[in-house]
Amino acid sequence: MKQESTVFVVDDDREVRDALQLLMESVGLPVETFGSAQEYLDRFDPERPGCLVLDIRMPGMSGLELQARLNAERIYPPIVIITGHGDVPMAVRAVQAGAVDFVQKPFNDQALLDSVHRAIERDAQQRGEVSRLRDIEERVRRLTPREREVMDLVIAGKRNKVIASEMNISQSTVEAHRAKVMEKMEADTLSSLMRMMLTLEALQGE
Amino acid sequence: MTTRIGLWRLTLLLTLLFGGVEQALANEPPIRIGVLSHRGDETTYRMWRPTAEYLAQAVHGRPFEIVPLDFDEVSEAVRFEEVDFVLVNPGIYVNLEVLCRVSRIATLNNLVGDEPRNVFGGVVFTRRDRTDINTFADLKGKHMMGVDETSLGGFQMAWREMREEGLDPYRDLASLRFGGIHDEVVMAVLSGEVDVGTVRTDILERMHSAGAVSLTDFKVLSPRLHPEFFFELSTRLYPEWPFSKLQHTPNELAQKVAVALLNMPDDHPAGRAGNYAGWTVPLDYQPVHELFQDLKLPPYAELGRFTLMDAMRKYWYWLLAGVVFILSMAFMTTWVARLNRELSRAKSRLERRHELILNSVADGIYGVDLQGNSTFVNRAMERITGWSAEELIGRNQHEILHHTHPDGSPHPPHECPVFATYRDSIPRFVDDDVFWKRDGSSFPVEYTSTPLKGEQGSTVGSVVVFRDISARKSAEEAARQHQMDLAHVGRLSTMGEMASGIAHEINQPLTAIATNAHACIRLLESPDVSHERVADVIERIAAQAERAGEIIRHLRQFVRKEQPERKELNINQLINEVVVLLKPELNKAGVRLRLELDEGLPMVHAQHIQIDQVILNLARNAIEAMQEVDASARVLTVQTASGGRNAVIVSVSDTGPGITDAVRGKLFDPFVTTKSTGMGLGLSISRGIIDAHKGTLYADSGPGRGALFRFTLPLDREEGEAK
Repeated sequence: MKQESTVFVVDDDREVRDALQLLMESVGLPVETFGSAQEYLDRFDPERPGCLVLDIRMPGMSGLELQARLNAERIYPPIVIITGHGDVPMAVRAVQAGAVDFVQKPFNDQALLDSVHRAIERDAQQRGEVSRLRDIEERVRRLTPREREVMDLVIAGKRNKVIASEMNISQSTVEAHRAKVMEKMEADTLSSLMRMMLTLEALQGE
Repeated sequence: MTTRIGLWRLTLLLTLLFGGVEQALANEPPIRIGVLSHRGDETTYRMWRPTAEYLAQAVHGRPFEIVPLDFDEVSEAVRFEEVDFVLVNPGIYVNLEVLCRVSRIATLNNLVGDEPRNVFGGVVFTRRDRTDINTFADLKGKHMMGVDETSLGGFQMAWREMREEGLDPYRDLASLRFGGIHDEVVMAVLSGEVDVGTVRTDILERMHSAGAVSLTDFKVLSPRLHPEFFFELSTRLYPEWPFSKLQHTPNELAQKVAVALLNMPDDHPAGRAGNYAGWTVPLDYQPVHELFQDLKLPPYAELGRFTLMDAMRKYWYWLLAGVVFILSMAFMTTWVARLNRELSRAKSRLERRHELILNSVADGIYGVDLQGNSTFVNRAMERITGWSAEELIGRNQHEILHHTHPDGSPHPPHECPVFATYRDSIPRFVDDDVFWKRDGSSFPVEYTSTPLKGEQGSTVGSVVVFRDISARKSAEEAARQHQMDLAHVGRLSTMGEMASGIAHEINQPLTAIATNAHACIRLLESPDVSHERVADVIERIAAQAERAGEIIRHLRQFVRKEQPERKELNINQLINEVVVLLKPELNKAGVRLRLELDEGLPMVHAQHIQIDQVILNLARNAIEAMQEVDASARVLTVQTASGGRNAVIVSVSDTGPGITDAVRGKLFDPFVTTKSTGMGLGLSISRGIIDAHKGTLYADSGPGRGALFRFTLPLDREEGEAK
């Protein structure tokens, strides 16, 4: 089920589009091209890994608009912006909005390929993080409300005695819940549980 | 008399119409002999009936009839063929011979006493007691009587002799009267009623024999003696009366009659009755002809017989009418002469005025005849061209004035508009030509050539009025130069505004080239390289380089300082070129371009870059105007159409907010702009360009309909005409 990363090229200029396709093919990267932002959106599949090489200035929907639309999605390929001569301020805005990089036309092939590789890595990383997050969420979902309560208090650094009094239960009951949490969360140590929950917090908060 | 002739004619007519045939068979119509009745009808019948009876007997018993004719009846009777033969005196005969083609068949032997005579003469006589009258010379101032004006023996013979004596009976006598018959004249002289009389020979003798008068009572003036002729006479002798046939009389009958007459014995009773002794062969009547010729009498002249006084008396009313006519003619002539004088004065006044006008106008004026030669020139023409009137008039104007085009190529005469004017009689205005001066230099002219009409309305030449337009030309040249400079500045400014967009447009192919080239290198480094693939890529690189080059070419052309020359342009092709430069702006502004180009558009004669500039200006304005509306609704439409047969129309319209009333009025003023960038010269320059092409540029829009700018370019009409 593991898919190969694909380079998605969106440029209204056919010559440039074809040249980019050739360049990607010459280094063995699978490539797909789109003549407009809309065309890309129509065929957009969040499950496909890869990166997006996006011309910033296009008739109809511009590169920036497409980026804004993709930002609403849960996951999308990282974006490498290609810009013309006078579009540097726009490129900067794109990077601020999350683009991996921008390259100026006419571009150095190596610089572009480097950016593309970086973006693909980022995508793979992104996709890895997302699956870990999903695991942790799944484990959290297995906990009973009492176990969840106990876990939150444990992560907050509270000792069992304090937890028992706060929850108005016996210390041995707390210990039992705590063992259940560690088992369900597949955590061997307290620190690994804590790292797990921090990751969840960080990714969900994005 | 007339009544009788009328009756005769009627009878004849009736006879011919109704009874002709029966009568001819039963009783042949009588043969009529007209006889001059100079001594009265009764005498005539008595004398000539026996002759008629003789002829009737001699010519197979056909009846002959005597028709007495007065002097004035003879010619009419002959003319209307009322008689078949005539017996008249030689004078009348000569007239009839000439006028009615009668011919004599026998001459009478007149019996005088016992002697037959076939000649006779005239006797001029007076009473023996008039001792004052002896010769013709004595007749002056006397009263005279003749028989008749046309009587040969009774007047004309005497007249001929008097004339030879230098006497004119009509002028030199106290009076001249005519008695009508001989006896009357004799009696008048005898009674003293007149001083002298004239009768033919033997009249006095016969009257004497008859006892009417006595020969001793008279004496004969200027008596002559002839050896063969013993009567007293005062004139030459003339042949006696001829017996003549008419033209219509059958020759056979005439011959029979002639034979009968010539065979008549001298002493035949018929001759006795007529007082003659048979007939002889016809004599020579030349003396009678000569007499008439001398006297200028008919048939030899109508005139001469009447004196002026006679004519005046007889034709006074004609004379009066004539005099009145002559007087009125004289009056008219005077009037016309005066009118003529006035007219010629007016004409010379007009000519002077003409000349004054001709010579005081600043324009050159000259006339040309149908051979192309100058007929007149004015002073301005001499001044402008340096040629004098003497050098121009009568010489071929085309060869002198416009033998050569401004570019030095020869101007053939058959293309000369002045010649063409009198060929087709259509006035012409030529606004751009050159005339050549005497010193060999040329100057620009405009001129009219107007056909000159002759009196019959046909063209007899043309008049040319021309003007030296050097000053206007150089002003025009300066204005055009200014317009071109301004247009150039406008283009530079536009290019400045478009620079980044165009740089992007050039960047695109450059990017593709660079990328393709790098890819190519990578492909070549890979072990399983396909040569076809590499060649394909390099081909693409070449095409992309060309694309970049093309954009740069358009760009350079656009900012170039254009030469002021016009070419045949395809406006559609020109719009496609402009679109190349326009594309980045369209992309940037998210504007959709719609081209509606009329494929059948004719070529126009225009300055390439300037028209580029107008279209680019209008399109950029439109793109900018649409920034305020939703991106999906931004459409720029460029449309071409042919406007009838003489113009091309280009429209540039947008879907923007349209033109507000506040701006509309000063839309084409310079430095009016609604943009943050730019000088506001675009529309004013565009209008200047279109005006210079003799087209029009105007704006059209309604609220909510967007703006529409439209310009027209006229087709080259001269070009069209030449074809």
